[in-house]
Amino acid sequence: MDRIIEEFKRAQHDSSGYDLAATLSPIPPLDDGGRLYAFSKSTNNYAVAGDIRDALGRGRNATFSSRAETDAWVDVFVAYWKAVGDILNAEEAQNRRKFIGNEWTTAYDAWKDVVNALIKGHAAGHFPAWTIPCLYTGGRYLRVFAIKADKQTTDTQGKVAFTDGLGDDVVSSANKNEKLEDTARQLMRIFSLFLGDRSPIEDSRKWGIYYIANLLFKTHFKINSINLSKNILRTLHAQSDLPALERFPKAHQTTFKYYAGVIFFLDEDYIKAENYLTDALVLCHKDAKKNRELILTYLIPCHLLTTHTLPTSALLGPYPRLEALFQPLAMCIKRGDLAGYDAALASGEAEFVKRRIYLTLERGRDIALRNLLRKVYLSAGYEPPKEGDPPDAPKVRKSRIALVDFHAAVRLSMGKDGESLDQEEVECLMANMIYKNLMKGYISHDHGKVVLQKGDKAFPGTGV
Amino acid sequence: MSGAASGSATTSKAIVGESNNSETAKDQQKPAATLEEDDEFEDFPVEDWPQEDTELPSGNTHLWEESWDDDDTTDDFSTQLKEEVSKVNGSKRG
Repeated sequence: MDRIIEEFKRAQHDSSGYDLAATLSPIPPLDDGGRLYAFSKSTNNYAVAGDIRDALGRGRNATFSSRAETDAWVDVFVAYWKAVGDILNAEEAQNRRKFIGNEWTTAYDAWKDVVNALIKGHAAGHFPAWTIPCLYTGGRYLRVFAIKADKQTTDTQGKVAFTDGLGDDVVSSANKNEKLEDTARQLMRIFSLFLGDRSPIEDSRKWGIYYIANLLFKTHFKINSINLSKNILRTLHAQSDLPALERFPKAHQTTFKYYAGVIFFLDEDYIKAENYLTDALVLCHKDAKKNRELILTYLIPCHLLTTHTLPTSALLGPYPRLEALFQPLAMCIKRGDLAGYDAALASGEAEFVKRRIYLTLERGRDIALRNLLRKVYLSAGYEPPKEGDPPDAPKVRKSRIALVDFHAAVRLSMGKDGESLDQEEVECLMANMIYKNLMKGYISHDHGKVVLQKGDKAFPGTGV
Repeated sequence: MSGAASGSATTSKAIVGESNNSETAKDQQKPAATLEEDDEFEDFPVEDWPQEDTELPSGNTHLWEESWDDDDTTDDFSTQLKEEVSKVNGSKRG
């Protein structure tokens, strides 16, 4: 006990929020693996409050400005001591693979008491704003323990349902995320507490707002309630007195930009998504490879739809998983190979759906089609020089191209699926391309021709 | 879903129009949408870092390239495409 309380007092003396939060971690530090166990054994249920009060009062007397502040910290540490016992118990049961009851649910509830004690201390104004990293730790592990508790519940319910054969699917799936949903509510309390802080900005809990928003995003994504995340985004957007995002730590900025980007991505607002995700990639620490990979997983489909560009091999090189996901599609887009594109999309379907990028990639097929039609246009060559043209007159590409040429190309490109494709369907595909501004010109159905815009403007943005 | 089936499905969707197919694809996506733990954005080991720690040694250039490739006209598919188009033209004239 003394060691934790000594470090706590030192952090208080130094006004170091992160050091303070470290004393409330449910994970022992690397250099002191037995710390939690020793802390748990150092007192008992009856003596814990008195012991902690004594330890806090020893040595530097002026640690706290008021009796109420001392009381509030005693409450936090008593709750922490109880939670540590329950967490160690749950970990032990898990290591032995022998759960007796709902150990992780007990641990979750105990950790929630720690978070509640911290919220209470802040809400009553006993804790200074610089101590908010304690609530980061509180919220972060609340989510971790909720996931473990829900998993244990689902696992045991699964077993019960299996043995008595009366499992009610509707009930069990509704409770599947019970604790994690509760976590989202507790995090919302912290979010509101931080957002509503009226202290001057230098000393405001508002500096914790993005950390908590990010925890909320993570939680909402896990329980598939992304609409709740949209509310968070809207709330932050409407809050005019927040400091600019650039003034927050880069870890908060990067995570926020990533989640905001993915939320806009899922909303099919690809322009905004691209902006947020690009910012996230630029801000991200260069060694955080996993996070860079996640950012790119969404940024690559965005780029395909907004600017019609593909990742270079230099970009994909360090990420074999991304290379495997996107390289086959990129090759087919360049070649205008529709059958290949469909096959690559189908073979990666499970992975694309899991990452929620399938729909977006499906739309990328238009770019493959555009490139195919562009190839037909290029291979049609140039108009023969007119009589009387000076010999150095610039060559002009043929702008009237027979529909049968496009029909043949699309049929070939679609492989087996193309065999039954008739010309009207190809006309329809091309009308769609014109509508989407991927191709400029018009279709003359009666003459069986496509008339493309002259002057290297037939396929906007591609140089011809 | 087989390759052939998805191919024809996407084609008919493209013809039907945009708004409908986004609806159906969204619905299809929902059941499997929960991400696994290892797909989560990780906590950074530090809270803040200097600008130079965001830059890769390769720099941030040459990350994106155009989606078409004018030089790549020698691959099998392009050659086949040319043959096919000229075959059609030949039969039309002949």
